[in-house]
Amino acid sequence: MIVREVVVKNKSGLHTRPASMIVRTASRFKSDFFIEKDGYEINGKSIIGVMTLAAEPGARLKLVFDGEDEEEAAEAIVALFEQGFGEIE
Amino acid sequence: MEQRSIQAEAQERIFIGIPAAPGIAIGPAYLFNKWEVVVEARRISEAEVEAELERFEQAVQRAERDLNKISSVAREKLGEESASVFEAQRLMLHDASVYDRIREYIQTHRCNADYAVAHVLDEHIRRLEASNNAYLRERVADLIDVKERLIRHLRREKLLSAIDPEHIIVAENLSAADVVLFSRRGILGCATDHGGPTSHVSIMARALGVPAVVSLHGLSDSVQTGDLIILDGIQGRVVVNPRPETLALYRTRQERYRRLLQDQQHLIPLPAETLDGHRFVLRANLELIEELDLLKKFGAEGIGLFRTEVLFLMRGPLNVSEDYQLHVYRQIVERVKPNPTTFRLLDLGGDKMLPIAHREHNPFLGWRGLRVLLDRPELLLPQLRALLRASAYGPIRILVPMVTALDEYRRFQEVLEDVKAELRARGEPFDEAVPVGIMVEVPSVALMADLFAEEVDFFSIGTNDLTQYTLAVDRGNDLVAPLYEALHPAVLRLVKHTIDAGHRHGIPVSLCGELAGDPQATPILAGMGLDEFSAASPYLPEVKRVIRAMQFREAQELAEQALQCRTATEVATLVNAWLQEHGCGLLQYMQADEPTAGNGRAEASSLQES
Repeated sequence: MIVREVVVKNKSGLHTRPASMIVRTASRFKSDFFIEKDGYEINGKSIIGVMTLAAEPGARLKLVFDGEDEEEAAEAIVALFEQGFGEIE
Repeated sequence: MEQRSIQAEAQERIFIGIPAAPGIAIGPAYLFNKWEVVVEARRISEAEVEAELERFEQAVQRAERDLNKISSVAREKLGEESASVFEAQRLMLHDASVYDRIREYIQTHRCNADYAVAHVLDEHIRRLEASNNAYLRERVADLIDVKERLIRHLRREKLLSAIDPEHIIVAENLSAADVVLFSRRGILGCATDHGGPTSHVSIMARALGVPAVVSLHGLSDSVQTGDLIILDGIQGRVVVNPRPETLALYRTRQERYRRLLQDQQHLIPLPAETLDGHRFVLRANLELIEELDLLKKFGAEGIGLFRTEVLFLMRGPLNVSEDYQLHVYRQIVERVKPNPTTFRLLDLGGDKMLPIAHREHNPFLGWRGLRVLLDRPELLLPQLRALLRASAYGPIRILVPMVTALDEYRRFQEVLEDVKAELRARGEPFDEAVPVGIMVEVPSVALMADLFAEEVDFFSIGTNDLTQYTLAVDRGNDLVAPLYEALHPAVLRLVKHTIDAGHRHGIPVSLCGELAGDPQATPILAGMGLDEFSAASPYLPEVKRVIRAMQFREAQELAEQALQCRTATEVATLVNAWLQEHGCGLLQYMQADEPTAGNGRAEASSLQES
């Protein structure tokens, strides 16, 4: 199991487009993927789950990956957060 | 409506609405129900479970195909941001908390798939509705869409694909997504009970070239699938079960319109100039980057009104950062230059409700336009900064919405000066002389136009609101809608007063209401000395045709006479005769060889009574 901490960097938070990117990316991997915010945990492969986080800019999230390809999954998802989901800042 | 006594012939009925996208369609209606889904629970036997799961699977696949198409068209026509909404809906279909839960529910409760879909999605919907986060509450609409799409596919599996290409869609309301999907299936036109010229369905229909009429109150209750209807997107009306004479009339008009469009091509590169060389400027109203192609296609000289609301509505008003706005504005400015782009500041309130707005008893007389902006610096400041920064890339004009008093405008000027000082301090380049103008859409401003003209750089007359406020008519209200008369002499006098005041102070006057795109109004507006016409691009060539067919002096005389008229009907009669004489005007062209009628609306009611 891998746990990573990330901060929501893009200015509009995890709105529809970033949420879709997370789910699409996570679904490429076999590993389970959960996102935790303020003690509330959701399935990171669920678009409704990710949207319900309503993570605002600056929010701190804990990403939990568990499974055979957890390394690759973690790398791909963390990269999305670091690149601010490709949004123009 | 009078009964016709011919048996076996369905009664002809005419519905008056608002033209949303030009064109004439004739064909069978297809009643599209966005019904409040009522789902009955049905118990199934153990043996039926497998078949029910398969039925659900099929519905998911069909829904997914729909959404793939919609999102690819939306990406092309509306941009990445709105396409992402449909992409998210597609992901919802496969969300474990939807897909797996529905399958599980069918298995454990041994119920029909329809009920399982409704049950599972309603749970999500209730949860989001209860949220105190505005963004999440807005997502409820997505879940409802997903639910209805699935149930529609479960119920009448062939429903959507059964729409034969040659149908006219009739609905209470449509989303932009519906229009995309329908236009892909080659439908002839769209008619809705609700909506206005700037609602999403109208914008999309214009962008896709699908004739459309909106605000046809009660139409969907009076039409059955298969009824023959005529949709007139030029005058904004729908005829249900037309008599043979009416049908023949419209077939002629349809053919004329087709020829007219071909004939328009030669007008596109020509200037909007009268026979005696008086030049007018024709600009476009638009709200989406993807509509920029229309400028060239219809010969618009820049943008007279860029409505920034859509930008904010797509992301939620507080999620639109200064940098994101700059990114959008810059793209527009760079593509439109050397012509100017007129950006109207966020115009909220009235009929444009956002989650941050609160319910008001009388929104049109409430918190809207500049009033909101002055109260909400978190909206106003980033937008002003982004617009000023965009001015470094090409000519822009800033347009302030819903100004009602001079001191209000002065407060705005102070804010603008502060923002400029801030940008200078930040070392951001911008055009120090960006023209700032105001919307003249309230009688108080039109009456005080001479004093406003001393302090602003241009006027843009918004005749839609000006007419509503002057005549005290809400045209969305069926009881009084016929009293909304765009050519009412009282409105014309206010327009004239505004133009004169502007000219005395040497500032240009533009008009950006629907009237600007109506060739019937063109000679009067031109004769009153209006400098710029700004309308949805497809309407511009006909305005130009009228301008090019007249002498400026003649138009001035016509305007003088119109201002002396006592009623809107008198104005319409006057201008129609004038257009007839000059062999131009869209209606005149469409109705050539037909018995002369009054203006569009008057004619419609006379048809109705006959």
